[in-house]
Amino acid sequence: MADELARQIIDNIKAHAEPGGEEITTNTELTALGIHSLELTEIIFDLEEAYGIEIEMNTVDAWSNLKNVGDMVEAVRGLIAAKKA
Amino acid sequence: MRQRVVITGIGGICGLGTDAAAIWEAMRAGRSAIGPIENVELHELKVRVGSQVKALPEHGIDRKQLVSMDRFSLLAVIAAREAMAQAGLQPGQTNEWRMGATVGVGVCGWEAIEENYRALLLEGRNRAGIFTVPKVMPGAAAGQVSMALGLRGPVFGVPSACSSANHAFAAAVDQIRLGRADAMLAGGTDAPLIWGVLKAWEALRVLAPETCRPFSADRQGLVLGEGAGMAVLESYEHARARGAEILGEIAGVGLSADASDIVAPTVEGPEAAIRACLADAGLNPEDVDYLNAHGTGTKANDQIETAAVKRAFGEHAYRLSVSSTKSMHAHCLGASGALEMIACVMAIREGLVPPTANWREPDPECDLDVTPNVARERPVRAALSNAFAFGGTNAVLAFRRV
Repeated sequence: MADELARQIIDNIKAHAEPGGEEITTNTELTALGIHSLELTEIIFDLEEAYGIEIEMNTVDAWSNLKNVGDMVEAVRGLIAAKKA
Repeated sequence: MRQRVVITGIGGICGLGTDAAAIWEAMRAGRSAIGPIENVELHELKVRVGSQVKALPEHGIDRKQLVSMDRFSLLAVIAAREAMAQAGLQPGQTNEWRMGATVGVGVCGWEAIEENYRALLLEGRNRAGIFTVPKVMPGAAAGQVSMALGLRGPVFGVPSACSSANHAFAAAVDQIRLGRADAMLAGGTDAPLIWGVLKAWEALRVLAPETCRPFSADRQGLVLGEGAGMAVLESYEHARARGAEILGEIAGVGLSADASDIVAPTVEGPEAAIRACLADAGLNPEDVDYLNAHGTGTKANDQIETAAVKRAFGEHAYRLSVSSTKSMHAHCLGASGALEMIACVMAIREGLVPPTANWREPDPECDLDVTPNVARERPVRAALSNAFAFGGTNAVLAFRRV
């Protein structure tokens, strides 16, 4: 289910990841990315501007609830939907 | 009986070289690293010279740690890894809860401060980089060194401006003497070649336009540089028990404060620190062969330091070899004392006093033997290293052959 939003998030993650690593999909565990947790949070925040949304997410809460890339995509999708509503 | 504290590994990075051996080689040759600042956006600054690490060595630090570090922390980690490798200490083999780190920092993470102010105020971004807080904080270098090397004992940053590294060594010596640690990584770091920092120093009007000429009558001030130096300190017993090669000993520490003025030094403060250091080390003035001076190259510092050395050493002041290696690596602020540690340890090991480079004219107010321009061979039984600072915080170390 690599839709547009997922593709964009994965592209953003790739820009921060070690080049030549394993392919990143929505099933990739966040801890397997080799990216600092703060940097991953910043990748989500970078989407604020792209989608005109405000992401009210406490870093600690975010990381206790998100396990893989797909969870990250769905969290952002939820915020976008909430904005439209 | 108190623990003796010995040095079993040294590491360094600065304009002179990207490891301790290269730095010492340049010091022996009296080569100055001061030159035009490249790789940094200087905007409209008048100051254009410094001592810069032109290219980082292959360091193999993983990306996840790298993105969380300001340059001053990165330099500290590179130097710490070198010192640790030379010492042959392995966390896991040695009890990592008994190994710590103290890292002196004079100015902290201004690379991140600068980037963020420019992005927010000039480029219209609306949030700061997420790593800004952990990158900027002065204690970051100590924390990053502990993470890079797996040190889980006493770990903390030591900020006291230009004497930070010597205070960090003093604090590390204390941890070992007090029995809180068996081994400590200690030293200092700074990366002040940043527009905002240079602009602030420019305002003080203490920067030399061309180069640093300590103790020379025509000296015009100090030059800023970036770098880091680190040493592995261990209790003598710990080093002997694991068969480590002992490079030297930190025999004593002397601390004092001027309690006078935030920028103008006194003679009494430095004199008291030198006297306290000799007493702590159990050395008489005539036991010391080399003094690595604070020697910033400002009119006031060099004159006052000369007076303090004469008062503390008496007649022996004229038989001492003195030099300011800041003439070569520049004033690296929080790192200065740590780079000067390399000079002292190697001077003792090789029986060679590194020179004061760029020296041109005798100054009657600075009439000690300042080893002008050319290194001097002489046996060095013990060496003192002076560090004084804005704030009047003086810290002097005594190094001795083991």
